[in-house]
Amino acid sequence: MPTLLEVQRAVGRSIIASDDAPAARYVFADGVPPRARLGIYRNNFVSNVTTALRLSYPAIHRLVGAEFFEGAAHIFISAEPPRRADLDAYGEGFPEFLAGFAPARALPYLASVARLEWAVNRALHAPDMEPLDLSRLAAIAAAEHGHVAFLPHPSVSLVAADHPVDEVWRAVLAEDDHAMGAINLDAGPVRLLVERRATGVEVTRLEAPAWRLAAALCASRALQTAIDAAPDVDAAALLTEHLAAGRLIGFELVDCPITSGVHA
Amino acid sequence: MSARTAPISAARGPVPREAGIGLRFPHHQAVLDERPPVAWLEVHTENYFGGGTPLAYLEAIRRDYPISLHGVGLSLGSAEGLDLDHLDRVRRTVERIAPALVSEHLSWSIAEGRYLADLLPLPMTEEALGVACRHVDRTQTVLRRRILVENPSSYLRWRHSTIPEWEFLAAVARRTGCGILCDVNNIYVSACNHRWDPSTYLAALPPAAIGEIHLAGHSVRQLEGGRVLRIDDHGSRVIPQVWELYAEALGRFGPVPTLVEWDTNLPPLAVLVNEAARAAVLLDRAREELADADAA
Repeated sequence: MPTLLEVQRAVGRSIIASDDAPAARYVFADGVPPRARLGIYRNNFVSNVTTALRLSYPAIHRLVGAEFFEGAAHIFISAEPPRRADLDAYGEGFPEFLAGFAPARALPYLASVARLEWAVNRALHAPDMEPLDLSRLAAIAAAEHGHVAFLPHPSVSLVAADHPVDEVWRAVLAEDDHAMGAINLDAGPVRLLVERRATGVEVTRLEAPAWRLAAALCASRALQTAIDAAPDVDAAALLTEHLAAGRLIGFELVDCPITSGVHA
Repeated sequence: MSARTAPISAARGPVPREAGIGLRFPHHQAVLDERPPVAWLEVHTENYFGGGTPLAYLEAIRRDYPISLHGVGLSLGSAEGLDLDHLDRVRRTVERIAPALVSEHLSWSIAEGRYLADLLPLPMTEEALGVACRHVDRTQTVLRRRILVENPSSYLRWRHSTIPEWEFLAAVARRTGCGILCDVNNIYVSACNHRWDPSTYLAALPPAAIGEIHLAGHSVRQLEGGRVLRIDDHGSRVIPQVWELYAEALGRFGPVPTLVEWDTNLPPLAVLVNEAARAAVLLDRAREELADADAA
């Protein structure tokens, strides 16, 4: 008699890798071939996970069409099956998969649109967090300010792309063929801030220096390091704006190689 | 007392022995706008693990309706153990929503750390019974409350099973003290698929443990060779045979909180409300029969 673990591992191989033989041995046929019974669960798996992927990547789905999407999703799902039971968190690897997916080569911006959609998905499902209590920051001595490393709100992402993927994303989701036709795909790179506001998820374009500062702050670099990464912006004004918008929810004091001298 | 004046008791009190409906995202706004005449609502726990709009809607809706959190991803029957991170996300959601009921399934979904996105049937063995009971115990300890465990639909049985599913479910309830979420549609679907007698199934369940009943639609799939399997897809109205089985269940269990589920091809809210109203009629009848029996 097989152990429970043996049965479950065999079913996992049947569902994910279409290797039915080990599980089929344990199935009571009762008038229906065991493979047909196992196939129902495999179909449900593929269908449920593909639906989850489509909900996370609606613009990709519309850009490539249902048939192409389902084909790509099937290959991706077999290669990277979900590791968590909440499927809202599934599909982080899909943009990289698309970047290396030969049949998608005709759309060089596809993987970048997918990266933007994953950031939007993260913003949609991030937990609610209180913004940073500014009185805690005010209690830090001025000499220590450069050592402050912020913790970003989990809804915030910074996305860089070689194509105007924000325009593509908006036009595709609005099903606006006119706007889609007017996009100049060679208009150059874009730097985007993605976040959840009270009104919904917003995608905002930033100038490259402001984006570098935001990216350094959200990567929890020491404030002085972040400022040094973006010397040509009004860092104080931008930091104030990020704090006011609730994009930063905490901080700690860290060593800072520029000002501490310890690492000089 | 109107529903509006009792937000806290509604949010924390028990689910009434009335009919409710499953709430899915497309109906969030309609429920807030229309305040449909249903007694309570049930949502999938996993859909509220994050923050933002879904949770904001649920917190607004729970002011007016008792809420049940129904999990689909805990995988109580996994031999490799519970996903404690998942259980912790369930715990946080339960603490935030303070639901009237919490439920999960007598099934498994995770093998070798991979989520198989369906409610898979357990071998009905002493080993699996031990695993399921351990995980129900653990869940009730972490959540600090009793949960209900639901019988799933199934499309296959294991050759080495030794315990009838109805006895297995009753044993889980007896050993762990959990309640039973009796899904009448699932009993019907599995009974047809495996040639069981649904009345035998109902008769084996301890009435005192039944905390909720589920109703839903299912589809019929024709297989090669002429065999038919019924598939639990929650995509249509409850069929007459399942209404009959529901009436039989109420006869055995008395009036029990009853929920109409609908997941695929979601119709307008009014269709669900209408299905719940049909259940309410049968619940009223069950109450009358109980009163008549008491009077006699």
